[in-house]
Amino acid sequence: MTETSSKISLLSKNARQVIDEAVKKYPEGRQRSAIFDALREVQHENKGYLTVELMDAVADYLKLEPIKVYEAATFYSMFETRPVGRHSISVCTNISCMLRGADDIVAYIEKKLGIKTGESTPDGRCYLKREEECLAACAGGPMMMVDHKYYENLTPEMLDRILEGLK
Amino acid sequence: MTEQMVNIEIDGKTVKARKGEMIMQAADREGVYIPRFCYHEKLSVAANCRMCLIEAEKAPKPLPACATPVMEGMKIFTRSKKAIAAQRATMEFLLINHPLDCPICDQGGECELQDLAMGYGRGIARFSERKRVIKDENIGPLISTFMTRCIYCTRCVRFGMEIAGIQELGDTGRGEHSRIGTYIGRSVDHELSGNVIDICPVGALNSRPFKMHGRGWEMTRHETVSPHDCVGSNLYGHVLRGKLMRTVPRPNEAVNETWIADRDRFSYAGIYSTDRLERPMLKQNSGWHEVDWETALAAAAKVLRSVNGDAGVLASPGSTTEELYLLQKLARGLGIHSIDTRPRQADFRDDEFEPLFPWLGHSIEDLERLDTAFIIGSNLRKEVPLLAHRIRKASLHGAAVMFLNPRRYEFLFPLTAYLSADAYTLPAELAAIVKAAAKAARKPLPAHLKDFVQAQAPQAEHEKIAAHLLQGKCAGILLGHLALSHPAYADLRMLAAALADVAGAKLGYISEGANSSGAWLAGAVPHRIAGGRKAALKGLDARAMFTEARKAYVLMGVEPELDCWDGTAALGALQKASVVAITPFVTDTMKRYAAVLLPACSFGETSGTHVNAEGRWQSFTGMAKPVGEARPGWKILRVLGNLCELEGFAFVSSEEVRAELKQALAEIAPDNQFKGTRNIYAEPPVKGFKRVAEVPLYSVDMLARRSAPLQATHDADAAWVRLSPVDARKLGITDNAQVAVQHAGARITLPVKLDDSVQSGNVFLPAGIAATAGFAPLYASVELERA
Amino acid sequence: MNTVRSWIRSLLLVELFQGLGLTGKLFFARKVTLRYPEEKTPKSPRYRGLHAQRRYANGEERCIACKLCEAVCPALAITIDSEQREDGTRRTTRYDIDLFKCIYCGFCEEACPVDAIVETSITEFHFEKRGEQIMTKEKLLTIGDKYEAQIAAERAADAPYR
Repeated sequence: MTETSSKISLLSKNARQVIDEAVKKYPEGRQRSAIFDALREVQHENKGYLTVELMDAVADYLKLEPIKVYEAATFYSMFETRPVGRHSISVCTNISCMLRGADDIVAYIEKKLGIKTGESTPDGRCYLKREEECLAACAGGPMMMVDHKYYENLTPEMLDRILEGLK
Repeated sequence: MTEQMVNIEIDGKTVKARKGEMIMQAADREGVYIPRFCYHEKLSVAANCRMCLIEAEKAPKPLPACATPVMEGMKIFTRSKKAIAAQRATMEFLLINHPLDCPICDQGGECELQDLAMGYGRGIARFSERKRVIKDENIGPLISTFMTRCIYCTRCVRFGMEIAGIQELGDTGRGEHSRIGTYIGRSVDHELSGNVIDICPVGALNSRPFKMHGRGWEMTRHETVSPHDCVGSNLYGHVLRGKLMRTVPRPNEAVNETWIADRDRFSYAGIYSTDRLERPMLKQNSGWHEVDWETALAAAAKVLRSVNGDAGVLASPGSTTEELYLLQKLARGLGIHSIDTRPRQADFRDDEFEPLFPWLGHSIEDLERLDTAFIIGSNLRKEVPLLAHRIRKASLHGAAVMFLNPRRYEFLFPLTAYLSADAYTLPAELAAIVKAAAKAARKPLPAHLKDFVQAQAPQAEHEKIAAHLLQGKCAGILLGHLALSHPAYADLRMLAAALADVAGAKLGYISEGANSSGAWLAGAVPHRIAGGRKAALKGLDARAMFTEARKAYVLMGVEPELDCWDGTAALGALQKASVVAITPFVTDTMKRYAAVLLPACSFGETSGTHVNAEGRWQSFTGMAKPVGEARPGWKILRVLGNLCELEGFAFVSSEEVRAELKQALAEIAPDNQFKGTRNIYAEPPVKGFKRVAEVPLYSVDMLARRSAPLQATHDADAAWVRLSPVDARKLGITDNAQVAVQHAGARITLPVKLDDSVQSGNVFLPAGIAATAGFAPLYASVELERA
Repeated sequence: MNTVRSWIRSLLLVELFQGLGLTGKLFFARKVTLRYPEEKTPKSPRYRGLHAQRRYANGEERCIACKLCEAVCPALAITIDSEQREDGTRRTTRYDIDLFKCIYCGFCEEACPVDAIVETSITEFHFEKRGEQIMTKEKLLTIGDKYEAQIAAERAADAPYR
């Protein structure tokens, strides 16, 4: 019917299972709500980022217009729509952390990794997110999240240790 | 209806409002204007522009008028200090990222943001940081984008989701990075997508063909009616110095609401195509010469008078009623009774039982109130986009919408049943439904249908359709364009009528062209004279007038090789006859067969009347200056009448013509009761592959075919052979391969699109396009081979 | 009585001497007449004479076909057709000012958002044939090119007061 109908084959068996499970959680006809579960799984299986083809595949699988999936994927900072490094580093720069020196932390990381925010290291090891909204750890600011793990009260020494620990 | 009303006070005035409605709706009704961008009466409430903030008593903060329901005793202040302050602050935020490029913006002068900025904007911007800039996507040949101007009202996004039924534009990204677009730079293809141009409150979405060509204030506005489909969408034509610059919708809830199809919006570009015939032309000494009107008309009159009535007259069903009335008057005055306006119809067996005119069976507005709709042989979205919109609304309200079609088409609303069958077996399929319905309703079958219907074996899907039709309290059965051009159309109609009788549904016709109804009432069909009365002398129909060759032909606004059911036969007959063509456009093919070419006015240049499918008479005036020496069709026919020395051709205006026709029409009561009784015999199976022809959306008539922007759309990319993958495998044909299609010695080569919606044995080969011009009848057996 | 007074005034040639007195006074006064065209009166930088279209320093025409001058023109002297040029910018394909219709009010100049159409202080121009009074885009740009220095100087002189 549409040219994209063959893209479903891009989804792994596991991903389809995850999506099917997610769809069941919502009332019939509300499969749009399963976009997040679907994208999370698909992103996880694709080295941490999404491609247009994969988003189309999710849309086809959920019988939605592709643009609905693009909207969700581009809105949330948890989804990446271009190739990124293995480890995702996001430093909170919201007000509490900012007041506690988050900007210096970002500058330090940038210098250490030799990349700007929004870039990945050439060896594909680290990816420094451009923006991250408040991660609800204001008490421990400045803080950052590396691969879903929180590190609080950051100092340059801590950063050295954490970053060098990333493989 | 007792609606609960509440009393509210708007700006000190006590008014009544319906419980549950929004403040904005109550204020609009009372004529109190609240500024708005995202609110649109036809779309859902988004409340994201915040321009409509108003003050309400006891509310601590300003409230958005579009999203706040009225409550008893509510006191609303739309112009209070607090409200104005809130609106001004919103405006300042909106203008932060809006470029100051009104002088080069096409929306300049008709821009909601510009207007409101005059009232609420600050003279000086306090924002000195960098404005965000968005790179534009190419979203197709109809809509141009300048997304830096976008204020994120999301009207276009909601239009896609709620009106079109498919979301093509979306809001991707977040915060300052959010943008409206398709994300991947694809084109926006929906047949109503042009409406986003109108609903965009700023200059972000504009008409691409009109881009930078004029200004809203310098054009004069004229009321007109679309010449393309049986809805007769109301339009405004915008004319600059005699040239039609664009057409926009004219709101009319009963006809087109506030929408128009892209075909209505962009076809005007065809008026100024290079094909335009600018001066009368005469074939002399086997060459074409431009001549003056007197010479040309005299030559035409000579042709008409010399054949003693042995002529055929074929006119486009998009001609005006006045033209068609005069055409039949001229023809019948000269003893020519073969006059028709149904070039794409093949089966005329039941002409004598036809209704007064091909009535829709309902008013257009009522279509959305149907609880059951069964549509036979129609790709409704692409045939009459605005009827599809009405049916979509019905479907969303819970109506059972069902189709019987030769292949699966994409509809953007829930369907209760969809029966897809070999095009040539549609009568049998329909008969099966009739049988199922008669059985379920325990009603006897009409005697004349018994043999054919009893022979069918209804399946579950047939029974389902029958059951829904019987359940429906307000059910409609509609015959679409594919049914109309079906070789057994009369059978289809008889069965549909029988089904309607059994099920208590109303039968309706989705007629071709803008003015089929007018043509019937004016007598521009062989079996009816003006006023819809039966013709004493029935002439030949649109098909027979070519198979039984005449000495002369008069063509008005048609290209037989593209418009006729059997273009080959038409061309053959025309080439041997003297042909007078009254036409706005001229082609090389036309020059091969015609003897006299008379340049007629195109859409927008002539006054007249169209009668739409629901029987609504809609008159319009000429607005643009005719190109070259073109003259309105009714004037040409009037003078021809005089030159042929016929009585009663002394009209000085098209209104007089209409008045005379109206006199001939007694009180019209449209009635689709079909009283035909005729036995149906199963057609012998056709051997080999069977061609089925669809007419692409933008190839329906001369004008649409010449509109460059429409021809650049995906919908116009129709020169493909659609083949079922099963058949393709047998023939060893792959997708996109070139394939030769042959019929009776004619051969054309086109690329193949494998399409699993196509039934095995059918070959879908569109008509109305240059690639298949004059190739074979719309339905015919063809041979396929790899090219 | 009046008759007598009138008689006396006629006999004494009073009015003649009054006239001679004025002649004599002006004979020695500073002259205000100029010997045009050798001599010319000074003009304000706001003087509204012949129209011109200006260009930017890089040679690009300024006019963006916004049609505001056409809209504001009280004499309907301006006619503009526009289209999108190949580079995507909005440009005129026709820009005609009918100088027979023009009343030199200067509204076009005021309305112009990009200072493209200006009225120069040139007053010495004439037409020899019908149709020459239509100032086309080419003519206007030529005038603009020729007098750009003068036009720019006039705009600069007037700038502090605007």
